[in-house]
Amino acid sequence: MIEKHILSQFDNDLEEIQAHILKMGGLVEMAISDSMKAFVHKDLELAQNVRSADAAIDNLEELINEEAARVIALRAPTAVDLRVILSVIKVSANLERIGDYAKNVAKRTGVLIQMNEIEDAANALRRLAREVELMLKDALDAYVQRDVSLAEDIIRRDNDVDQMYNGLFRQFVTFMMEDPRNITGCMHLHFMAKNIERMGDHVTSIAEQVIFIVTGEMPSEPRDKADVTSSFKP
Amino acid sequence: MLDTSHGASATNNPKILARGLSVFYGDKQAVFDVDLDVIDRSVTSLIGPSGCGKSTFLRCLNRMNDTIPSCRVRGSLIFDDREIAEYDPVYLRSRIGMVFQKPNPFPKSIYDNVAYGPRIHGMAKNKAELDDIVEDALRKGAIWDEVKDRLDSVGTGLSGGQQQRLCIARAVATKPEVLLMDEPCSALDPIATAQIEELIHELRENFCVIIVTHSMQQAARVSENTAFFHLGNLVEFGETKKIFTNPDDPRTESYITGRIG
Repeated sequence: MIEKHILSQFDNDLEEIQAHILKMGGLVEMAISDSMKAFVHKDLELAQNVRSADAAIDNLEELINEEAARVIALRAPTAVDLRVILSVIKVSANLERIGDYAKNVAKRTGVLIQMNEIEDAANALRRLAREVELMLKDALDAYVQRDVSLAEDIIRRDNDVDQMYNGLFRQFVTFMMEDPRNITGCMHLHFMAKNIERMGDHVTSIAEQVIFIVTGEMPSEPRDKADVTSSFKP
Repeated sequence: MLDTSHGASATNNPKILARGLSVFYGDKQAVFDVDLDVIDRSVTSLIGPSGCGKSTFLRCLNRMNDTIPSCRVRGSLIFDDREIAEYDPVYLRSRIGMVFQKPNPFPKSIYDNVAYGPRIHGMAKNKAELDDIVEDALRKGAIWDEVKDRLDSVGTGLSGGQQQRLCIARAVATKPEVLLMDEPCSALDPIATAQIEELIHELRENFCVIIVTHSMQQAARVSENTAFFHLGNLVEFGETKKIFTNPDDPRTESYITGRIG
C-alpha cells in the first residue's frame, strides 16, 4: 500500500469508507448464494430472507454516499485519494444493483416453486450464479489488493458468463417451442438468467474501478459483447 | 531531466524560458538545473513544500535575488528572446511586476500608490493621462469601484484584501507583461482570497501570471499549468488538471495528497 497521510484522520476516513464497501460486498455475495440456494432447494423462507435482507445493502449504499460526500467536502481529496472516493461511489452503486438482481431472483423463486420443474434449468442457473459469485469475490479481493491483473482477469471471465447466458437463452426458447405450458416457467427462468448475467456486468464494472484507482485510467479496449441474444432469431 | 516537450507548453509560445537554471546561496544549491516554459496569457502556479526552491525561482524572474550578495544564478533564463541578466533591472521590473505575500502599499494616497510607477517611468505626459492610467490600473485590480471616491485617502487605511488588490493595481500600472505573485493570498481572509482569485482569472486575459502558493487548492483553482518543486528540483510540470488528478511522478502524488511535506 502507499504511504500514510500526514493527517492520520484522513487515512481513517478512507479506510472506514472502504470497510463499508467490503461489508456491503459480503452481504451481496450472501444474497447471490442464498437466492440460488432458495431456488435449488425450493426454500421459500430463505427466498423471503434474501428479499428482506436487501434493505441492509441499500442502507450501506446510502451510508457510503454520505461518507464520500463528507470526505470530498472536508478533505478535498486529490489524485489517488480522489479516485478512491469516486470509486466507492460507483462500486457501492454496482453492489446495490447486484443486490437488487439477487432480490428479483428470490422473488421469482416463489412463483417457480408452484410450477412444473424444467429439466436441468436449476443446475445451469446455479453454475451461472456460482461463476458470478466467484467473480464478485475476486473483484472485492482485487479491490482490497489493488490487483490490476486480477481485475483484468475478471473482465475476461465476464465473457464466459455471457456465453453461458446465451446457451440458457437458446435452451429456454427450445423448451417454450416444444410445449407452450413451459412458457411461464421459462419466462421466469430467463429473467433469472438475465439478472445473473447483469450481475456479471456490474462485477466487471467493479473490476474496471480497480484499474481506474491504480492507473488513473479506465481500461481502454472495448470488450467484445459476448451476449448475442439481442440479435437472436429462432 | 524533465522532458518539457510533453508539457502543456509544447503547443504555445513561451513568454519565459528557463534552461538548466541553478541557483546557489553561497555553497548551498537551492535550485537544480530547472527547465521550464512559462506560457503567455495564462496562469502558471509553482507549488512545493517550504524550501523547495519555488520562491527562489520566482525571484530570479525579476532579479530580486540580485540584492542577495551570496546568491549566484547559473543557466539560461530568457524573457522575450533576451537573457534576463542582460536587462536593466529597473526596466525589467517594469515589465515583470511583482505582488508579495503581505500587502505592502506605500504610506501615500491610493492615487499616488498607483501613479508612482508610471511617474518614474515617464509614462504620462500630463495629469489627465496619468489619471487615465491610474483608473485603468485600479479597474484591472478590481478595486476601482471601492476607491474611486477616495483616491486621496491613504492606501494603508484600506482592508487587507483591498490593500492587496491595490498592490496588484500598482503592479499592473506600469503595463507589465508578466505578473509574479508570491503567496498573494496567504495573509487574506477567504472572501478577499476569492476576490483575488477572481482577479487572477481576469488578469490572464492580458498578462502572463506566475503564482507561488502553499494552497494546493488555490493552484488547482486558478492555474492552467502547475510546476511541482521538491528539494530544489522541478519534479513535474504539466496541465493543472492532470497534476491534481493523475500526476506522473510518485513524489507529486505524495505531496498533493498530503503524504510528504
